Amino acid sequence: MLSRVASSLYWMSRYIERSDGLLRMLKINYASSQDTIQTFTWEPVIRIFAGLRNADEIAALGNDSRSVLKYMVLDRENPNSILNIITLARENARGVQELISKDLWQSLNEYYHTVRGQNIAFLLEKDDPITAMDILIKQGMLYYGTLEITMERGEGRGFINIGKFLERGIQSVDILDTKFGSIDDNPNLLTDTSYWKHLLLSLGGYEIYLKTYRQGFEAENVLEQVVLNNDFPRSVLYSVNHIQRYFDKLKHESNMPEFRDLSFLIGRLQSSIKYSSVKTIRQDGLHDYLTNIRSELFKIGDALNKHYFAYS
Amino acid sequence: MQESAYFTKYTPTPNTWDEMFGADAQIRDHYQKVIQYLGAESIEELNKKEDLAKRLFMSQGITFTVYSGDEGIEKIFPFDIIPRIITGDEWAFVEKGIKQRLEVLNLFLKDVYSNQFIIKDGIVPADIIYSCPHFLREMYNVKVPYDIYVHVAGIDLIRDYDGTFYVLEDNLRTPSGVSYMLENREITKRLFPDLLPQCGVRSVTEYPNILYKNLLSLSPRQIPNPTIVLLSPGIYNSAYFEHTTLARLMGVELVEGRDLVVDNHKVFMKTTTGLQQVDVIYRRVDDEFLDPLVFNPSSVLGVAGIMGAYRKGNVAIVNAIGNGVADDKAIYSYVPEMIKYYLNEEPILKNVPTYQLGNPEEAEYVFGNLNKMVVKRTNGSGGYGMLMGHAATQQEMDEYKAEIIKNPRDFIAQPTISLSAAPCYMQGKLTPRRIDLRPYALVGPDGIEIVPGGLTRVALREGSLVVNSSQGGGSKDTWVLI
Repeated sequence: MLSRVASSLYWMSRYIERSDGLLRMLKINYASSQDTIQTFTWEPVIRIFAGLRNADEIAALGNDSRSVLKYMVLDRENPNSILNIITLARENARGVQELISKDLWQSLNEYYHTVRGQNIAFLLEKDDPITAMDILIKQGMLYYGTLEITMERGEGRGFINIGKFLERGIQSVDILDTKFGSIDDNPNLLTDTSYWKHLLLSLGGYEIYLKTYRQGFEAENVLEQVVLNNDFPRSVLYSVNHIQRYFDKLKHESNMPEFRDLSFLIGRLQSSIKYSSVKTIRQDGLHDYLTNIRSELFKIGDALNKHYFAYS
Repeated sequence: MQESAYFTKYTPTPNTWDEMFGADAQIRDHYQKVIQYLGAESIEELNKKEDLAKRLFMSQGITFTVYSGDEGIEKIFPFDIIPRIITGDEWAFVEKGIKQRLEVLNLFLKDVYSNQFIIKDGIVPADIIYSCPHFLREMYNVKVPYDIYVHVAGIDLIRDYDGTFYVLEDNLRTPSGVSYMLENREITKRLFPDLLPQCGVRSVTEYPNILYKNLLSLSPRQIPNPTIVLLSPGIYNSAYFEHTTLARLMGVELVEGRDLVVDNHKVFMKTTTGLQQVDVIYRRVDDEFLDPLVFNPSSVLGVAGIMGAYRKGNVAIVNAIGNGVADDKAIYSYVPEMIKYYLNEEPILKNVPTYQLGNPEEAEYVFGNLNKMVVKRTNGSGGYGMLMGHAATQQEMDEYKAEIIKNPRDFIAQPTISLSAAPCYMQGKLTPRRIDLRPYALVGPDGIEIVPGGLTRVALREGSLVVNSSQGGGSKDTWVLI
């Protein structure tokens, strides 16, 4: 497979995964903003997804739900707005149209036209924003379903899945780090059950949590589920296990030295997560632990770029 | 037959061949079934079909992007829902004519890039050939597989007031639009269920298979699975949709210049597992951008060193490099003589009379009759830089004349041919609009094959004679009947 094509598939997949995570986050946060008597803060979401780290920039955006949503979904100036992400996903897909199935291209194309349609802008500005999120989330689901049913099994799908799970792992780590980071500023949150409930809802892990833990919402249980529960499809461990699984399938289509190099990186990360527990994480310090996973995930991305996607 | 309101108002354009209406204002036989079918539909139904067509093009991404500011707008090429119909007899004639012409143009290219008998025998003047910017000395004595230079041709045909077919242009470099031939048919299947088989319309779906078969036969390496690629300038090219469609339908890799590299006079593509040798390139990149070492040095669309690999015969390139000398508008006027010279046959398809402005006598005649002429640049395309004498103001004519005098070799003039008209569905009624026809011919070692159909382009503006999409043209599905 052409290096450029592999790279495009990988990025197409990362962008779609990112849009899915972002939309779910926005939907739950908006719902929760309607449910809060004190001022609701959008800061963590902006921090995680808009790439704005600087407090002034975040403050400049304001805290009004509709304007934040508009910025996160439709603003062209925001490189991580849904509009920009989907445009990029589609541009990547456009360059590999002959390789992905025609249905998959059409589903992405429709997603793109939906984001740009007047309906979404109207819903966000004047009507019910949750309907807007639901429409967009559904477009993403159509993409996933179409991919599953129509896409040829092989190298291409391997890169698509690696991109997807790498993005997902990074997202989960980022969300945890930000959410737990906020506790340092405001220790009351530690015992605020709605805080944890919303975190789980935005990751789609609320129901699994209820079934697994019977004693209500506790920070440590949330941590355990989002990092270590291999039955939870958005957990860090699950994501890394799947990177490993799809990477392994590329073995026959790879040059050995490069394959070993990456295999080593992935295996090392996988073990370090698998053989940790809430207790050891606490000993290491949660922030350092998450930062380490994050940088290992980035290293895997870099190595893929170097060994598989580079043009020269 | 029940005739709806939109139909009875149809008034054919005077002094023009109407594809649907005969001289006695009767509907021609081959249009009867379609008109019956349409007659049974209400205006609302037809409007719905028009909408459906638009939606189908949009959702399939058969669009091109127009940039204004930082906002990209997706547009579709206008599509008229009423098909253009060609009878079996008309097609047989056209097919025969195109085959004859292509055979000769291939012989001409071989000759002009090797022995040049045609110049030595005084049939085509040397200065016309050597002054053509698309005549590439780099191709001199390069041996191409099976002596085929033109593998894919899109010859443009028009019909004068009496229905006679004329060749307007031979497109022998990178003719585009074939994906619209294929997609328009797919759309028609959805718009008019059951109508295609009822009318006995011949299928066009074989096109990609024939092209693939021909590409396969050109591989320099005798191996079971040679690597065939389609070289595209990339996603910002206006024909990119076509490149992906063809690559998908043939199951070949779509590559860009940056995916290829030349080593030791062999072309390779960069894959996830290292370099893989490429045997056949169906390129949709123009000659001058193909190799920065030989042609335009600032090109990033091509591959450095590819010309060397081609000369050595390590890679086949389709269409061959340097074909522009055969579809140059000044050389066009010599094609009838070429046919006599190489085949000793009379040309089946007529040429539009063409005046060389490089020739002082002809130039004088043209300047005297400028209002009856169409003046074009010899190396232009896309309908840009043309002067339509019958519609131009005195000032426009004077300015254009000044341009011509600066460089007369770059211009030719042709009498205005009126182009045939066909019914189009516009705002609830049938209205005649001017059309042309571009059939797609494929040349391989087994001979010349033309899928029965092609692209019919329509001048959507009333009275307009320019069908190019860049000048407000659209397209129609083109039916060839058994």
